[in-house]
Amino acid sequence: MVNLIIKFVALCRTSDLKVSTSEALDCISQLQLINPVDEFQFKAVLNTNFVKTRRDQKHFDRLYSLYFHNLKLDVSHLENQDQGVDLYQEVLESLQDAENSNELEKAIVEFLSGNPLLLLEKLQKLRTSELISSQALKSNLGGLSGRLEIMLQINQTRSRMTRFMENQAGSAEIRSRKQIMDNLNRRLDVALNMLTEENKPYNEGLKQVKSGTQQGKGLGEKFFSSLSQSEVEEMRQVIKQLVRRLNDIVTRRWALKNRGTLDIKKTLRRAGRYHGIPIEVIYKKRPPRKGKIVTICDISGSVWSAARFMLNMLFSLQNCFAKVRSFVFISEIAEVTGIFEKHDINEAVEKVMTEAGIQYEALTDYGETFVRFKKTYMDVLNKKTTLIIVGDGRSNHFNPQDQILGEMRDKCRRVVWLNPEPERFWNSGDSEMNLYKAYCHEVRPCQNLSQLTSFIQELVL
Amino acid sequence: MKFTSVEDVQKGLSEANYIASREIATIVFLSAATQKPLLVEGPAGVGKTELAKAIAKTLGRDLIRLQCYEGLDEAKSLYEWEYAKQLLYTQIVKEKIHDVISESHTLSEAVDKIAEQEDAFFSERFIQTRPLLQAISSPEPVVLLIDEVDKSDPEFEAFLLELLSDFQVSIPELGTRKAVHIPFVVLTSNNYRDISDALKRRCLYLYIDYPDQELETRIVKMKVPGIQETLVQKLVHAIVKIRNMDLKKKPSISETLDWARSLIALQVQDLTPEVAIDTLNVICKYRADTELVKQSIAKIV
Repeated sequence: MVNLIIKFVALCRTSDLKVSTSEALDCISQLQLINPVDEFQFKAVLNTNFVKTRRDQKHFDRLYSLYFHNLKLDVSHLENQDQGVDLYQEVLESLQDAENSNELEKAIVEFLSGNPLLLLEKLQKLRTSELISSQALKSNLGGLSGRLEIMLQINQTRSRMTRFMENQAGSAEIRSRKQIMDNLNRRLDVALNMLTEENKPYNEGLKQVKSGTQQGKGLGEKFFSSLSQSEVEEMRQVIKQLVRRLNDIVTRRWALKNRGTLDIKKTLRRAGRYHGIPIEVIYKKRPPRKGKIVTICDISGSVWSAARFMLNMLFSLQNCFAKVRSFVFISEIAEVTGIFEKHDINEAVEKVMTEAGIQYEALTDYGETFVRFKKTYMDVLNKKTTLIIVGDGRSNHFNPQDQILGEMRDKCRRVVWLNPEPERFWNSGDSEMNLYKAYCHEVRPCQNLSQLTSFIQELVL
Repeated sequence: MKFTSVEDVQKGLSEANYIASREIATIVFLSAATQKPLLVEGPAGVGKTELAKAIAKTLGRDLIRLQCYEGLDEAKSLYEWEYAKQLLYTQIVKEKIHDVISESHTLSEAVDKIAEQEDAFFSERFIQTRPLLQAISSPEPVVLLIDEVDKSDPEFEAFLLELLSDFQVSIPELGTRKAVHIPFVVLTSNNYRDISDALKRRCLYLYIDYPDQELETRIVKMKVPGIQETLVQKLVHAIVKIRNMDLKKKPSISETLDWARSLIALQVQDLTPEVAIDTLNVICKYRADTELVKQSIAKIV
């Protein structure tokens, strides 16, 4: 039993579930408290110890059924069970003995004999490789060719297996031979399935704000992308008013709310005025709790029209946050915090376009942006940071690298994704919104001022 | 009372008016047997808090509840000195202090004498216990519910971690307090933000989802006694359909129960589209949602 669990734990770890030793220990000791033959209870124990967030649930279910169901050596239906087991061994041994067998083939044979660890490792590696393509010419073929290689190997193994069985024609009854063949073939099918099936991420706790129905045709409802020059100016005025109002509300709140513990020093000093009688009790003021904000904005084309208004608002509200840091990207990423701090907002917006040092001809590449962010700026994120990403998630079919967004999620308090496209266009074409959505705490459309305002209000208050 | 088996838990909880699925029962049983905290997650209104109450009732223990929010600190969750009371007492016993030091000749002698009396001011009398200290120092075992732990700050979470692994706290002036009995701890979270891995590692994890139709029917029948069978069936059926719609906030069990109760109060015998529209406010908490449900009411009821 212990061995079984330990193997399963190793399996979980290779597929990105975080299982610590203490959790494995807990699981094993808890199994003694329940009836392990009752599969329902057995699974519940494993589940509660190994899956600590709802987002991992599907992943766990898949591994569980792979390990405990699909790969079970099932000879019970054979008439001659001993012979069946022997034949299994023979087939597998013959496959192992093959000359010039490479690592990949070994992994597949291991998989056939009920130990999927190596193969899963390979798949995971493929999924999470973080190569930055060095030059202008980019391709997404790395992962694809890796997959193709495994697929070919599986097919090769299948044909070798069939050949071996045909050679063995005389040694066992036809029926049991056929059953064993079926069994092994089924396993290879499972392996193929694992290869081709996309890991569909799954996020139950996601807060998805819908764009409400349009009411009226005021400035607040107009799409950012369709504003004329004069309207942009008007918009700035409106934002200025809004910001002032928000600032007022926030200050008033802090004044009321932040009475801390007794300030003994001050109380005693004040008591001196009244012959040492502490008539006035003085409380410490608690420093306001301010969040840190990190924004990452796509500044290609249409997205920029929304992003600049958001940056405008955030930087005007600086004193509500401990720190606002901004990054912009198309395929490279650059920090623009300095520009916004030094210059007036209008200037800053212009300067970002000219001075940030970003190639504008490049194609948007979210994957590479994330890789670069991880390399250079990961320490910007901590448990007090709210990460706001503004972008349409259209990554020109480059590798989306969504697992890096997952790592970023682990590092910060909340991840919010603002998408300037209406929801019905998400997931169409080259939009990777579905993948990214799985790692966000909140996604919301952000096409006009009223949507932006409601978001900022929620963020500040 | 103690749980002896999974079936026992299920029975006990149902006697406390909580219908638990087998998964819930198994994990509650494990949590009780291993004395590990139970971390419950799930959408709002599926009965996370209710589960803690039911466990308390079944075990015959008191429930101590700590509601978390942004800015919650040790002073509000563990203990606080009652400064005002201390100051007041100082004033009242001023004369007495005078007596104590009256015989001393030098200043340092006087200070020493006062120091001897120090304990009088940092004693149990002036300590205000908050939920966590209460749970630890209670002479009877209790159930401690830490509600919406995801709303608290990371600092508080780290502090909680220490408490939940050792079940002891140290109060600088009084020394370390060890738990008299280890409480049954239930933490709930709404997934506003991710809870740290370290805290998760110490807990048993339980996700409560919306119940299936059969379970929900049973829950409604139990919580709203006297409701007619056909009405329950129709009601639950409608709720399941509404839940599948693309709403801002999906109605959960608590909304189902509210709806059932309001239908009873209105003395409605049958759920017709008209009745449903009139009472939609009970289950839909956003105007946009209400509109959406209204449009397709014919399909729902």
